[in-house]
Amino acid sequence: MSMVEVLWHGRGGQGAFTAARLLGAAASLGEGKYALAFPSFGPERRGAPMCAFTKMDDAPIGDRSAMQQADFVVYLDETLLGADWERELKPGGIVLVNSAKPTAYFGDQRIIALDADAISTAYLGRAIPNTVFLGALCALCDRLESIDVHAAIRQYMAPKLHDKNIAVVDAACAQARVAAQAFGEVATLDNAEALGADEPTPEVVSSQDESASAMHPPRPHSIICTLQAGELDPQQFAHTTCFSAGHLVTKNAGWRNERPVINGALCTGCYQCYFYCPDGAIYKAASSVPVAVDLDFCKGCGVCVSVCKFNALAMISESEANRA
Amino acid sequence: MALNASTISDNELFFGHKACAGCGGSLAVRAALKVLGPNAVSALPAGCMSAVGFNFPQLSFANNSMITPFAATAAVLTGIEAGLRAQGKKPDDCTVVGFAGDGGTADIGLQALSGAIDRNDDVLYICYDNEAYMNTGIQKSSLTPFGAKTTTTPAGQHVHGCLTNKKNLFQIVAAHDIVYAATASVGYLPDFVRKVERARDMRGTRFIHVMAPCPTGWGCGVDETVDIARDIVDTGLWYLAEFEGSALSGVPGGVFKLDRNPKEFASVEAYLKRQGRFRALDEQEIAEIEAARDAAWETMRARWC
Repeated sequence: MSMVEVLWHGRGGQGAFTAARLLGAAASLGEGKYALAFPSFGPERRGAPMCAFTKMDDAPIGDRSAMQQADFVVYLDETLLGADWERELKPGGIVLVNSAKPTAYFGDQRIIALDADAISTAYLGRAIPNTVFLGALCALCDRLESIDVHAAIRQYMAPKLHDKNIAVVDAACAQARVAAQAFGEVATLDNAEALGADEPTPEVVSSQDESASAMHPPRPHSIICTLQAGELDPQQFAHTTCFSAGHLVTKNAGWRNERPVINGALCTGCYQCYFYCPDGAIYKAASSVPVAVDLDFCKGCGVCVSVCKFNALAMISESEANRA
Repeated sequence: MALNASTISDNELFFGHKACAGCGGSLAVRAALKVLGPNAVSALPAGCMSAVGFNFPQLSFANNSMITPFAATAAVLTGIEAGLRAQGKKPDDCTVVGFAGDGGTADIGLQALSGAIDRNDDVLYICYDNEAYMNTGIQKSSLTPFGAKTTTTPAGQHVHGCLTNKKNLFQIVAAHDIVYAATASVGYLPDFVRKVERARDMRGTRFIHVMAPCPTGWGCGVDETVDIARDIVDTGLWYLAEFEGSALSGVPGGVFKLDRNPKEFASVEAYLKRQGRFRALDEQEIAEIEAARDAAWETMRARWC
């Protein structure tokens, strides 16, 4: 068997590197089996995009550099699945994405969706999606046996985590088999029908954006400062780093598992939620409800709920919000 | 004008940053910059707030801001202020402000801070204290309190965490006879905002030490940041105080003032037990922490009220 490469996309704190390492451990347990696992990330915090890499082979692996293309590309967070996902996929490769949406939504034979947040929440009590994809890879990758993944978990995780994570792996393995099979059938149908006729593929849009504009008044532009330097041309990147705050900043919505919702009937307009938000994601709104949440930048910490004296705020899960 | 949630500027000058959800440090920076306005020039050493605020080509600061060498926050502030003045580019509402963590202030940047206070340079230095080197993965600093578990003070069978006590940074700074120094907590944001506003309108070196919980390093829920930052004040393990130096107060040696003097303290045990970093502490150690608090408050109440 030739080398199998897995590229992990995750956000800091989701355990992408842990999964990459466990996968490498599982794939190198047998005689004459070798693996390499390493991460790549910048200075960002929990929630920021990062990558991890696993290489598995029957011979010692000399190339220690990051791969450009992989047999399996895993997205622990679906918002990381960008328009250029194909560039990272080898011919015949498979993309696995953590999403509550059905596989058919993504409209491509090579993308399989798994609701890893739901699976991990069911077994671990928290949405930690990484080991779910170890299970999924057991189902999809010939090189990997679930018994080896169990052994790797026992070897590298704290004892109290063993049983729950092994249960996650087994559940995910079963679901991935079903998902792969079911998708094979759905994919033969008209993709355009499954997706909605004029929605472009493979552009993946977070439904949070759509629901945000429907539910809340827009954030007034004046709230985000512009610099006195005036409008800056992107050509000037190399000459200055002065930009309006938020102007070029990537959105922070993807890390959120929960979002605050405001009960307008109970809100008194005391603005404590706005005042105490670490991200400035709550703003004063010119509407019947005094405040609104900027769901592009809310990280879902819940500080706003804890400082509200009037119980006007509550956290609801993202999947619940997306269903609504 | 007293600033509060209704009257503070709607402008978001620290926005879109990559800090963890529920980050206390980012709340301190956000609130302070709202008070200081877009003409503030900020400088931050290596630390969480510089790591999460500068992601080229994205900048999360609407005001001009720069990263300094780790030890040099106050020295760079001095240079920025002198440079702006020399070039005639310092408007009246330009505050040169530093945001450094506890390690960057009380350990690594202490001599530069001491030098700036000694020269009485016209800068505002804000230390956001999350009680360890969180940026590098939770190592003990000299502001880590007794009993806190960090990666360099792990909790084991015999030792349950950090063995040293929190350095008294506020009094070290006050001992320089600085123009103005204050302590604050992001849990009592109106108090912090008032102190930033007060400091903004003074000249000379000003220093604010603001407690800013770190859910990642403290082992608490991300929604608990503000509540725990109130709790640490209510338990008496932190205090809200101000120091007016002799130049401001007219009193030789300066004057301390306690802004909050609780009649009764909230439970220290409950405060410690809600955080993973203190989980290993036993009853005797908790009693020691309470005794140290009582001794500190006896002195503060005798001298600062």
